[in-house]
Amino acid sequence: MADRVYVVLARKNREDPLRHIGSVHAADPELAKVYAWKTYDEERWFEMVVALRDAFHPVNRDEAPFNIKRQGTGSAEAG
Amino acid sequence: MSAPDVRKAEELSPEVRRALRDLILSLADSKRLIGILYAEWVLGAPELEANIAASSISQDEWGHSRLLYALLKDFGDDPEKLEHEREPSEYCNIEALDKRFATWTEFVVANAVVDTALTVQLEALSESRYAPLRQRVQKQLEEERFHFGHGAAWLRRLAGAGDEARAILQQALDERWPAVLRWFGPDNFGDEGKAEGFWNANGRELRQRFLERAGPVIEASGLALPPADVEFDVWDPASRRSSRAGPDPEAVRRARGDRNRAFLMD
Repeated sequence: MADRVYVVLARKNREDPLRHIGSVHAADPELAKVYAWKTYDEERWFEMVVALRDAFHPVNRDEAPFNIKRQGTGSAEAG
Repeated sequence: MSAPDVRKAEELSPEVRRALRDLILSLADSKRLIGILYAEWVLGAPELEANIAASSISQDEWGHSRLLYALLKDFGDDPEKLEHEREPSEYCNIEALDKRFATWTEFVVANAVVDTALTVQLEALSESRYAPLRQRVQKQLEEERFHFGHGAAWLRRLAGAGDEARAILQQALDERWPAVLRWFGPDNFGDEGKAEGFWNANGRELRQRFLERAGPVIEASGLALPPADVEFDVWDPASRRSSRAGPDPEAVRRARGDRNRAFLMD
């Protein structure tokens, strides 16, 4: 099963907006959840969610930096 | 539980005090060892995120073991000696951790199965009347949720990689399984402490809870659940082991921090 990119969103407090904090490569959503929690563990997050980056559709830029398709591994490619 | 909390080990009956001390030491030794064995794969996992997860999980386990060793001071033990001065034959870890993880597959089986056994035992203490232990369990359980998620996801992933991968997984599982089931003790093991509210399951119930947790993950991965027969002929209830040979000596040297002894600080 090939890895796919999952976007990681989190907030420290309930009243905060969810913020895009990074991304992880994972074979399935269950691994993506663990990888996200273990990679971005610098805070005591109130809430963290992951979503396939492919689920996001660029609105105003065809070459959107956030959604750019890049080869290889590494977690911090989405800006 | 209506019976009052116990805040000092000296307030426990001699039988429960001994059993609780032995259990905490077995958990501490198991968590110290699994942390060390996980750490050996921090740079060897198949992908970057798994390396990071292995590192984090390893540190979690190390932290859990420190909490548990420190608790043993209340039982008259010297945590420094327990952590740094014992021989392998004195360790009371679950025997499924005696061998180091030669492959990532073995890491995954330990993560999905052995770690889960420790968690099931820990959960049985989450309402313990011995308050100092109960207060240390919750944070560990929160972290263990992600350890289980990691182990279960990797078990599924490896098992889905083909017949050969599944056969290797099955072998690693079969090798560790009897020692995992045995660690919980005979069916009535712990009845007294259970009746007094210091944990909420005996050996049979713990084994059942473990099978209910790990069984579905194993079967959903297409692996066969190994037989549930358990042999207690030479099993020692204090160490929870059948062999005094102990864990891998190199793993123990690293667990004790032999090479860093000169830097040890109070």
